[in-house]
Amino acid sequence: MDRIAQLLEQLDREAYVADPAIATSLHLALELRKPLLIEGHAGVGKTEIAKVLARLMGTDLIRLQCYEGLDASTALYEWNYARQLLHIRMQEKDGHAAPGAAEAQIFSEAFLLKRPLLQAIAHKGTPPVLLVDEIDRSDEEFEAFLLEVLSDFQVTVPELGTIVARERPHVILTSNRSRELSDALRRRCLYLWIDYPPFEKELSIVRRKVPGASEALAAQVVGLVQRLRTAKLSKVPGVSETLDWAAALAVLHASHLTPEIVSETLGCLVKDEADLRKVRGEMAAGRLPVGAA
Amino acid sequence: MSDLVQRVVGLCRDLRARGMTVTTAHAIDAVRALHFGALQSRERTYLSLRCVLVGRPEELEIFDEAFAALFGKQQAPAEGPVRVHRRSPPPEQAAVPSLSSWGQPGDEGEGGEDEQEEIKAASDAAAVAQKDFSAFSAAELDEIRRISARIARRLAARPSRRWKSGRRGPRVDLRRTLRRSLSNGGETLDLRFRRRKPRKTRIVALCDVSGSMDLYSQFLLQFLYALQGTVARVESFVFSTSLRRVTDLLKQPDYAAALRGLSAEVHDWSGGTRIGACLADFNRDYPAMIDGRTVAVILSDGWDTGDPAILGAEMESLRIRSRRVIWLNPLLGSPGYEPLTQGMQAALPHVSVFAPAHNLSALRALERHLLA
Repeated sequence: MDRIAQLLEQLDREAYVADPAIATSLHLALELRKPLLIEGHAGVGKTEIAKVLARLMGTDLIRLQCYEGLDASTALYEWNYARQLLHIRMQEKDGHAAPGAAEAQIFSEAFLLKRPLLQAIAHKGTPPVLLVDEIDRSDEEFEAFLLEVLSDFQVTVPELGTIVARERPHVILTSNRSRELSDALRRRCLYLWIDYPPFEKELSIVRRKVPGASEALAAQVVGLVQRLRTAKLSKVPGVSETLDWAAALAVLHASHLTPEIVSETLGCLVKDEADLRKVRGEMAAGRLPVGAA
Repeated sequence: MSDLVQRVVGLCRDLRARGMTVTTAHAIDAVRALHFGALQSRERTYLSLRCVLVGRPEELEIFDEAFAALFGKQQAPAEGPVRVHRRSPPPEQAAVPSLSSWGQPGDEGEGGEDEQEEIKAASDAAAVAQKDFSAFSAAELDEIRRISARIARRLAARPSRRWKSGRRGPRVDLRRTLRRSLSNGGETLDLRFRRRKPRKTRIVALCDVSGSMDLYSQFLLQFLYALQGTVARVESFVFSTSLRRVTDLLKQPDYAAALRGLSAEVHDWSGGTRIGACLADFNRDYPAMIDGRTVAVILSDGWDTGDPAILGAEMESLRIRSRRVIWLNPLLGSPGYEPLTQGMQAALPHVSVFAPAHNLSALRALERHLLA
């Protein structure tokens, strides 16, 4: 069996419902040793891919969650100042206080706090999966910095020297497109766009992830969500919302949708006041497949 | 295999001709990708090459076309076509009229029958009208300038999340402090501090000077002029049927001189409006002007004679790339006005602040709003 089919099966075993596009992209990322940039709407399972990949390769997942203002000291490394200070004090008490020796000691690896990027580079054993989550939320400066790290997989700590990755980690970047990423970064990466899944795929995702939901319920839930995605909502429900909602309905032991139960649990799915009003209006007008009263 | 290499190279060339960025490194990766078992089926080849060569969702459709052209149209791609917004075809030049006598509070309805008479016909041909914009009193000008300055500063000044080390600041910079203490044998004699660097925001202002904006144009231009004079990084544009960068024209020591320059240089005052097309021009011609630190300010009533789908798409592109999109609509100040025009409807989802700007009190309110 070839590798892509094998990957598909492995993903399936990890309860990730993948399609050939996802498997092919992962396969190429592993073979070509290039970072994979995954874009798509919120809640289509971008982050999950990295987690599943780490599981099926039996290796560690190192996650760097990006946010506005994320800088090198939070992403790469920082010195453990408190420990350094303590160490200096201890040495003073013991009486040997040659400044040069103290410096060499406190700027050694034992006093280094490794942040995700350095962890991934200095990782020993099988190469880890490095997930750079929501890269679009970081600043452009950080993106440029990341680019540098991703091209060399080496980091220079002035006090220590250069640390080079023994084996390149598998890198997965995700983005919600809240801002446009630089061409330089895109050029460096393989690309995968994940769209909202079609009905069949979403149904099998619900079946896999919410076994408590009956077959009929799952189909109704997915049908309604798919219908809502075509309505112009400001926050379009993702697959994770579908799963939340299906799980909520399963807990409530609903065997099928009724307007009442939809109305009560709509908050799992539609998370914006204006959207809620719109959906309730559509429901009242009988334009949504919410089952019979 | 060598035939395939040639085809891949051909594909890369084709994609480049269609406007995608495809480097030699891409081509090499594409061939390597085929090597790693992408040849078993057409679908595999398609998915592998797509993964390597495409870099953004807008390119998916272009890729599909190029791939089909080269490898023959066989069946639909595996997951069906991906629905991503793509540039719509240019608008047919519909002569949808724009209002000229709009704006007396109270008489704006939602495009009823009786309004038709007030509508200026066929206004896409720019009605050339050289105007004298100097009706404001000196005191009013001063007040506008002061408020604009405060608004501009509010928009621009924002502490960055990044730190800067120095002798003063609210927080101790441990790393530097410790480093320095070493030269005193570990004794901290001299504290180093750090503070937030100020973040430099750029403002790009796009002002509608079409016929329907007649009443407000002079007021808004005044605002634009004041904005320009306050913060270093302001870029100004005016638009009606076409877009014109006026940053340099507004950089005059006094407003009268700026206006003289404007009237001499800008010729389609009071014509019709094609906001979508003008925004498209802006997005195409000045792509680097908008980045994650840029606040885009649009001053317009949203009366667009173009295709609302274009306006929506261009607004989206603006929103994605900018920090914030602010739409100042003079009509919003009129009681009972609701943004129901198709253009406004298409634009609104992409606007983070939608506020009135028709007089001084509205400007003051805007200032308070931005503070929050």
